[in-house]
Amino acid sequence: MKKIIPLCLVALFSGNALAADNNTTTLNVYTYDSFVSDWGPGPKIKAAFEKTCACTLNFIAEEDGVSILNRLKIEGSKAKADVILGLDHALIREAKKTGLIATHQQDLTNLKPSLKWSDDSFVPYDFGYFAFIYDSTKIATPVTSLKELVNSDASIIYQDPRTSTVGQGLMFWINAVYPNDTSAAWKSLASHTVTVTKGWYEGYSMFLKGGSDYVLSYTTSPAYHLIAESESKYKAAAFSEGHIAQVEVAAALNTSKQPKLAQDFLQFLISDQAQQILPVTNWMLPVIKNVKLDAAFATLIAPSAIDMDIEQLSIERKNMIKNWRSSAVK
Amino acid sequence: MFCILLICTITLLAFYGLIAFNGQGADLSLLKDSYFHSILIFSIKQALLSTLISTVLAWPIARALYYYPNLIFKRAFLSLALLCFVLPTLVLITGFVSLLGRSGYVTPLLGPDWNLYGLHGILLAHVYMNLPFAIRAFHSQLQNIPQSSWLLASQLKLSYWQKICLVEWPVLRANFSLTFGFIFILCFNSFAVVLALGGGPQSTTFEVAIYQALKYDFNIGEALTLAWSQLFIAGAFFLLLYRSNSVSWLSKDTHGNYQLPTNSRWQKISYSLLYTTTFIFMLTPLLALLPGVIAADYSRAIIGNIIEALSLTLVLGIVCASTALAMAYAILLPIRRNLLQGKTTRALLLQWLANHSLIAPAMVLSVGLYILFLPIIDLDTLGMIFVVILNIMLVLPFAIQQIRARLLQYDNDYAVLAQSLKLSTRQKLQIEWHYSKQVFFSTFALVIMLAMGDVAIFSIFGSDQLKTLPWLIYQYASSYKINEASLASAVLLLLYATLLFNLERAKQHA
Repeated sequence: MKKIIPLCLVALFSGNALAADNNTTTLNVYTYDSFVSDWGPGPKIKAAFEKTCACTLNFIAEEDGVSILNRLKIEGSKAKADVILGLDHALIREAKKTGLIATHQQDLTNLKPSLKWSDDSFVPYDFGYFAFIYDSTKIATPVTSLKELVNSDASIIYQDPRTSTVGQGLMFWINAVYPNDTSAAWKSLASHTVTVTKGWYEGYSMFLKGGSDYVLSYTTSPAYHLIAESESKYKAAAFSEGHIAQVEVAAALNTSKQPKLAQDFLQFLISDQAQQILPVTNWMLPVIKNVKLDAAFATLIAPSAIDMDIEQLSIERKNMIKNWRSSAVK
Repeated sequence: MFCILLICTITLLAFYGLIAFNGQGADLSLLKDSYFHSILIFSIKQALLSTLISTVLAWPIARALYYYPNLIFKRAFLSLALLCFVLPTLVLITGFVSLLGRSGYVTPLLGPDWNLYGLHGILLAHVYMNLPFAIRAFHSQLQNIPQSSWLLASQLKLSYWQKICLVEWPVLRANFSLTFGFIFILCFNSFAVVLALGGGPQSTTFEVAIYQALKYDFNIGEALTLAWSQLFIAGAFFLLLYRSNSVSWLSKDTHGNYQLPTNSRWQKISYSLLYTTTFIFMLTPLLALLPGVIAADYSRAIIGNIIEALSLTLVLGIVCASTALAMAYAILLPIRRNLLQGKTTRALLLQWLANHSLIAPAMVLSVGLYILFLPIIDLDTLGMIFVVILNIMLVLPFAIQQIRARLLQYDNDYAVLAQSLKLSTRQKLQIEWHYSKQVFFSTFALVIMLAMGDVAIFSIFGSDQLKTLPWLIYQYASSYKINEASLASAVLLLLYATLLFNLERAKQHA
């Protein structure tokens, strides 16, 4: 024990300076924390990309996508990153306001047409549809539409739209399905809401412990249980109104001193190799066509997407939150 | 003096960081918003209720402990009480949910209308953390009743109520208001519990609203308004309490088993019932972690992660706790000097300044410093230093609060004597150490556990190469690894329990 303490002290104050290798070029990437965890995509992506680039890929982790953006706002042109990875498409407008985002120069013809991607700065690297997950051993006939869920008395858990992008997804969803009587829908939902959690994990773990009939998550969540736990009882409910998609995106910064390398990394993200890693580590869907996936993904529901005008939504977001916070009250 | 100046500078820097960044002050239009009013009302309401329940219930339990010093497992009870107070909220909430959530073990007994989430969930968690704290505070205070008071009471044949009013209450009074205020401020500034068990937007405290404004809207104007309001309300409350508090009349304490008034048979039964119920209340949420621990994946990688995180957490805790303790002692020096010289107002002001980080919103401190230093310093490398500094700031008021009473008591009893004997500084320190080492030991235990439990500061300044154990729990939990999270929680709990046990034992032998 006595030996561990000085060792740790050294490590404590030298931090990750030891991790960065100064002999080769280093590509700095801001990302979110779960991306770089041991079981997340980070280590595999790093190993695969470093084989092709003769460089060091250095992930710098922030708590989540919003924190990455906040960091950019604070640092401005002093930002250390060459690439940012992990914003979702609802943050694109805000991110561009920093004036730091470079155009992507990528050929995106291989992207799934259903994404309808046209942004010239951000490259999508995975996506998912929000969905309510249930335990099929407890619920034999799940609800088939958002309206049915809102009007039912089934207990639900969802995330706070102020602090979670998943919760924000439900907010967009409710606003799309109930354009005129959003408040009433929130009120009705609140009457059978068990709780609203800060982040995705609190809500989801409560659900796994039997905390509610439904929990807000992604259509891909059952794939995790199938592949990692061989557990098939968790299913996503398909809603007839369609589902809201979340697209995770990356972009190069125009302050980068290695624009070529940054572009290479963006290109790598939408390569077949990276697209095969992401679904089984980040538990989202690939953005390019014809990726060979684990059989578990074929069992997932394939929802229709609700068209969203992201530009418009990011403007209305503030009012939607005000409405939620006064309506979703018991 | 220097230490007080230092911590005040850090706070000022943090606020400066925020103000300078957007170039304007607080957004005062928020004060008229109904959202602000509902936050204000809810923050005060839940804090007041939590505090009332905690302190009022703690009183009879502390009396039970006092009157029956030979209760079985009493020492374990007191250690457990401290554990409840310092338990990382993440662990506590997991425990509560598996007990009282919709499929909880206890839920079927509570009727169909039971819902953990909402005001009663918040109250339950706050009471769980603070009731044991109040019990410990009152219990140690009751032990300061001098033997002579009881002798006198029995000679005067005081009735039951007279004993409470004339013997017990005077000893408790000062500590009662201080404990009340302390718990009120902790609950008023509550964050994780409110977010996790609030159940919806109707439960928003200032700290939660600041977090939301800073973190997600990056609306610094709004965050500042909320922060100033919180600082103002909690600060006013705190000032009021410190004014009403005095310890000068405390007698030298006479520890040991002396004659206590005997109680009737039914009192004895009701006290043991109360004791047992409290014991079960404190123990069950911790036991509820067990099923997850058993089901966890015991692979080498996960054990390795946990051990690595464990050692970092220990180092971090030791550095923070020893620095905080040393600073607390240094900060109390000018306060004690002023009190001895009869300059009470100055002493009060210094105390207030020294304790300000208790009421300053933690989120503002960390984000303010983050904004200020991010463009200047390489925080990815040096962030850990800020984790240490901010944790010291946050645990410092606890350290001061714990050792203050004992040192003031020492001054009261021996300072004049030490002065007249012309003892050397070294001799004085030796006597002082001997007099107060018990308190230093227990304070160290409290402070190290508080510092080790931090997630909030780490989430802003921490790095991903070095993880603390609570952060690892958070990471496991946020990536479907619920059982591993339980395992890591259990390891953390075990560490806490070991620390507690050893320090309490050291205290006994000290």
